[in-house]
Amino acid sequence: MDVVLSHIVKRFGAIAANDDVTVHFAAGRIHGLLGENGAGKSTLMRVLCGVVSPDAGTLTVDGRDYDGLCPEQAARLGIGMLPQDPLDFPPLRVWENFALGGGQVLARREARGRLAAVCARMGFTLPPDVPVSRLTVAERQQLELARLFDRDVRLLILDEPTTGISPAQKEALFAVLRQFVAGGERVVALVTHKLAEARELCDQVSVLRQGRLAGAFVAPLDPPAILSTMFGAETASLAATPPPPPPPLDAEAVPLVTLSNVAFADTKTVLKHLTLTVRPGEIVGLAGISGGGQETLLRGLAGIAPTVAGSLTVAGQALAGRSLPHFLRAGVHYLPASRMEEGLFPGLSLLDHLRLAFPEARHEARAIFANRCVAGFHLTNVPDAGAASLSGGNQQRLLLSLVPDDTRLLLADNPTRGLDAASIAQIWEHFRARAAGGAAVLFFSEDLDELLAQAGRVLVFYNRRLVADLPAGRFDAARVGELMTGRADGQEERA
Amino acid sequence: MTGRGSSLVRAGFALALALGVTLALVAAAGAPPVATLLVMLTGSLGSPTACLRTLSAFAPLLLCGAALCVTFGANLWNIGVEGQITLGAIFCLWLLRGAGDLLPPDLAVGLSLGAAMVGGMLWALLAGVLRTHGRVHEIFSGLGLNFVATGISLWLILGPWKRPGMASMSGTEPLPPVLHLPLWGGRPMSLWGLLLALAGFVFVAWLLRRTFFGLALSAVRQNMTAAGRLGLRPRRRMLAAMGLCGALAGLAGGILVAGLYHRLIPSISGNYGYTAILAVLLASGSLRALPAACLFFAVLTVGSIQLPLELSLDSSLAGVIQGVLVLTLFAARRLWPADTRGGA
Repeated sequence: MDVVLSHIVKRFGAIAANDDVTVHFAAGRIHGLLGENGAGKSTLMRVLCGVVSPDAGTLTVDGRDYDGLCPEQAARLGIGMLPQDPLDFPPLRVWENFALGGGQVLARREARGRLAAVCARMGFTLPPDVPVSRLTVAERQQLELARLFDRDVRLLILDEPTTGISPAQKEALFAVLRQFVAGGERVVALVTHKLAEARELCDQVSVLRQGRLAGAFVAPLDPPAILSTMFGAETASLAATPPPPPPPLDAEAVPLVTLSNVAFADTKTVLKHLTLTVRPGEIVGLAGISGGGQETLLRGLAGIAPTVAGSLTVAGQALAGRSLPHFLRAGVHYLPASRMEEGLFPGLSLLDHLRLAFPEARHEARAIFANRCVAGFHLTNVPDAGAASLSGGNQQRLLLSLVPDDTRLLLADNPTRGLDAASIAQIWEHFRARAAGGAAVLFFSEDLDELLAQAGRVLVFYNRRLVADLPAGRFDAARVGELMTGRADGQEERA
Repeated sequence: MTGRGSSLVRAGFALALALGVTLALVAAAGAPPVATLLVMLTGSLGSPTACLRTLSAFAPLLLCGAALCVTFGANLWNIGVEGQITLGAIFCLWLLRGAGDLLPPDLAVGLSLGAAMVGGMLWALLAGVLRTHGRVHEIFSGLGLNFVATGISLWLILGPWKRPGMASMSGTEPLPPVLHLPLWGGRPMSLWGLLLALAGFVFVAWLLRRTFFGLALSAVRQNMTAAGRLGLRPRRRMLAAMGLCGALAGLAGGILVAGLYHRLIPSISGNYGYTAILAVLLASGSLRALPAACLFFAVLTVGSIQLPLELSLDSSLAGVIQGVLVLTLFAARRLWPADTRGGA
């Protein structure tokens, strides 16, 4: 299969998500689309699989030209996409999801037979009668892939497929993809913002930057050249620089956070038997598969998920069983992963947000905006704009501006998700400054590489349990990956 | 286009369309459309008496409309305004009956309005607590409490507070004139009622626009989760909004007793609560447009009373006209929807 996207243009309002992009997907190859968040990779792939129609440009599939495809047409041509978030029905069983996989709905017997055949061919182990809600992210990916393979997809698009899966699961996925293109007939388009993944897997890459094609490279890939194509020279040096090592901790320091046999009850998960201390200045990464319990720890420490047993002390104040305002007064602050849904007021202005967060200084909101938002976080919007108009990066900048200076414990759920490299570097710099000032930072990131690079200590969660507490120098990707998928027992590694 | 300009243009479009449909319906029912419209207009605005009658309907509507702006400001559907008016009326009369002879009349009347506010507030807080602590939606509790309030007022009229010697649906024994709110030139309309309504409206506008409480309420309306995370105590704010709304609705009930009917009658709330909801929706929650919307509904209510008298139309046609007008208004607003950004 041979697919060419020629001079594709796609605009959303004033923003050109794709601006004159030309990419050639050649048969038998794994083609990487690299670029930071917002570069236009996903839009281009949505054009390719017919979800989005381009404003200009041509798609050529096996020699035939199209101005645009509709999803059914793309499916008939053998183009299929594994989206970033699984498009399945969690309450339904695996085989039922498989039977509903697009095109004609399959009968029970046929669906089960074809599912078993695909699984045997690709080496998947998917229990057909289990509800999809009980599968891991990696298994849900496999289910999506099984549906696509069963429909005889020939151009397979994967959008950030390694988010939320372990290093071992990633290896397994890559092996499947290599096998998929091995016949020399089929094509994989891999969308990613991680250069390491592209280097490991891709035969060639196209780099997008701000909606335009910034460069094309053929393996072996040269990291410095690609990085400066992705980010521009200045930011590339930022992105390539590893963070400074965490400063040595004062072993004598009084713990800032103490948990003794604590249980947190969140809406869906209960996290029990937590005994743990965190000292001022620590940056602690929480590793785990989504839903493993690390989010519950963050929400429990924030006072959102109630403490139902044990004792919890932050900065000398006993907080178990207290309401959220007590946590706030103790200097605890939580940065949610869904920023607009849990953190911001879409119809209120940026100034109103500051007035709400700092009521006693509400008459100086403009001065606060100039000091905190503009000078401190380079927030580029006008202060009277509504929060609904903020980009993802600016949403996080506004949220960070709302964190009081005297915060002792900062809790962040996926603080850099969806942000561009410059914003990400800025956020980590800010967290390190907070830690240097005597606060403790606990964070969860679905990006394991980022987590291990930034954390001075790693807590690993598996199956709603804290399974390992690894100090600096005692963790690496393989080890943490095994622990967070339950392949290794971490009992002996509890501090 | 500015928000103000576009909302005026939208209201104008909705009105024109509603009027067109309504007149077509009136014609279809065999009534002369233009004459019907003229009768409604002269009945509500054609003479000083008619104007005063319209203003006496406008005062409780404006009070309840302002009250509802507070609860809508916190994203609460306080459908229980009717019951809150009724409880205000009951508390007002209770104080006047009990203390009217003991206190100087002016003080007694003043206190009775305070009692009316307390009554409405308690009734609203009941619905509010059911929402914040019992997870009962305020629409259901409000509606239920409306029926209970009607029941209480009927029980009082026919039972403990019945006229000496006979229980009558025409209401309780009228109050002595010293316990009336001062009248305006001897007509059945108290200037005080209108002044209090305007004061209530100005207070609500100031509270929602100029105070931290107002900002916090709009934060609760926009995103209750985020408001909680900032320590704004959204449940407390919602209860405060319910309480304040109930107090203003109760005041409307007090004005109806002390300023208009001078007794408790069945259904004293006179649908002002429901009509005020329609007025707030017609004004798209905009405080600027609220007085005009309330005036529109006052004109409609008072004007349609004249239809059976002057044109011998079936009295049900008045109700039909009101209903069709309102429905078409909202349909028209759908055809030309407001922008979705919040902010009253």
